[in-house]
Amino acid sequence: MLDSDNAAFIQTGVSISLASCAPDGLPSMSRGLGCKLVDEGRQVGVFLRRSQSLALLDNIRSSGRIANVFSLPSSNRTLQLKGSDVRIVPFLPEDLPVIERHIADFVLEVVPLGMSEAVVRAILAYTPDDLVTVTYSPCAAFSQTPGPKAGTPLG
Amino acid sequence: MSLRLDTLRECLEGVIPGHIATCDAEGMPNLAYLSQVQFIDNEHVALSYQFFNRTRQNVLAGSPVRLLLTSHLTGAQYRLTLKYLRTETGGPLFEQMKAKLAGIASHEGMSEVFRLRGSDVYRLLDIEQVPGATLALPPPTVNFLTALRRATGRLTACGSLARLLETALDCLGGEFSIDHVMLLMHDEGRGRLYTLASRGYPESGIGSEIPVGAGIIGICARERIPIRIGFMTSEYAYGRSIRRSVEADGQGDSLETAIPLPGLPEAGSQMAIPITAFDHLLGVLYVENVADLHFGYDDEDALVAFAAQLGLAMHHHQQAEEQAEDAPPIEPPAAPLAGPPLLVRHFAANDSVFLDDDYLIKGVAGAILWTLLSDFVERRRTNFTNKGLRVDPRIRLPGVSDNLEARLVLLQRRLEERATGIHLAKAGRGRFLLAVDRPLQLISS
Repeated sequence: MLDSDNAAFIQTGVSISLASCAPDGLPSMSRGLGCKLVDEGRQVGVFLRRSQSLALLDNIRSSGRIANVFSLPSSNRTLQLKGSDVRIVPFLPEDLPVIERHIADFVLEVVPLGMSEAVVRAILAYTPDDLVTVTYSPCAAFSQTPGPKAGTPLG
Repeated sequence: MSLRLDTLRECLEGVIPGHIATCDAEGMPNLAYLSQVQFIDNEHVALSYQFFNRTRQNVLAGSPVRLLLTSHLTGAQYRLTLKYLRTETGGPLFEQMKAKLAGIASHEGMSEVFRLRGSDVYRLLDIEQVPGATLALPPPTVNFLTALRRATGRLTACGSLARLLETALDCLGGEFSIDHVMLLMHDEGRGRLYTLASRGYPESGIGSEIPVGAGIIGICARERIPIRIGFMTSEYAYGRSIRRSVEADGQGDSLETAIPLPGLPEAGSQMAIPITAFDHLLGVLYVENVADLHFGYDDEDALVAFAAQLGLAMHHHQQAEEQAEDAPPIEPPAAPLAGPPLLVRHFAANDSVFLDDDYLIKGVAGAILWTLLSDFVERRRTNFTNKGLRVDPRIRLPGVSDNLEARLVLLQRRLEERATGIHLAKAGRGRFLLAVDRPLQLISS
């Protein structure tokens, strides 16, 4: 589902966000702080701040479903992955460098576009004890780069 | 809902793109980026509909909608819960969003891709601030309430339309720190707007024209709504491209094209505000800046309120000049005319007037000038009234609603700008004096 090009893409300085839905259909969403590939690339793990994602985590627990978007601001290249086997697992301290690298890459990506570094760092600020990881196997992938072909299934 | 949307409108500008989440019938979430969120009021927003994608399918199938918006000033994030109401495919809201989207598309290199198909109107059900670190809001560059209070105070002290217009433009610079401004009047009969005053350009452009409906200024006039664009876009340029399109339509002859429009060659930010009074469009206030995203919702609100005051004052002065007139002034003895004669040529077909073969003006203002100068040459008449011009069959004013006083201001400015040796000066309410420095030779064709 995730070719090597897209697998590399989601681990660059992309903006990451996730959504899930409550049983009544009301969506919830949060920003992610970086991601990693697990199970030899068959699964994606995304890091979240628990305090910002209470409803999202509840909805993931009840539905097991997720929509996960990755977008590179400088090119508008955007990828949406979906998963229906989402699990919430404890954050592993050894993943902290992944988050730090993600934030550094994202700052390098958006500051040249005119964003304030202080604002970007505030948006991505976290404390390690607030972190949680969600993992899933992508069951669908869509290019969402703006344009008439947005939404085209990949693979 | 404790948070008010009008206090966090910077999040709607799309500097940090918003997200929209929906849900399909099977419970699968969908997440997408937003091009723009348009503030309507504290209970309503509109989103742009550009493509029939999964988001739209879910919305039309009744999915609840959530937005995640982020302030580029503080980093604060907000989740908004929305309910879809309707889609508008024309009218003021649609035109506002279409213009804004053209700027965004051009900025993103998506001019060929982004096209507004509709404005989806939503009811705002809830706003929740996402917990997390935020920065203090930077202090605003202008205190709009103070600027508005001072500016409206200065408008009320003006005794004539000419003074009012000068003061209005001075206020935009001095009180609102806006350096590039044009004020255009509405010529209802001809479906045109003509520049009556400007600030911040090498040439004033007084007398230059734009058709109603063309470019950002023309669409603002047609829809009578403020239009604000945050990025440079050729689609809403008001300069040469508009003229080319008008000329291609075969209307070039009636449009004033000899006087160039003022304007920044590469404006990043543009805003056009209609000036109305009693349901009548009087004109348009246009401001621009080289920087992107220079004008926000607060600038727009402030200038809309200012334009409302200005419109009422303009209406008042127009009425005052036509309904009453002061006693005729004691005319100064006519100075002897000296120097070589000034050749004044009038073309009746479009009332254009040339002075010594240099184009001056055409249309109603041209007809007025020709009438004044004819009376001067025939009878040495120098004393005129607005009422008299209004009923003069030689001028053929388009209608009672036409702002004659504005046309006199236009003519007066154009004469002074070209240093023609012909002067118009107010001589009390409803009256003005003509003064001529050189002998005139009139030729009508």
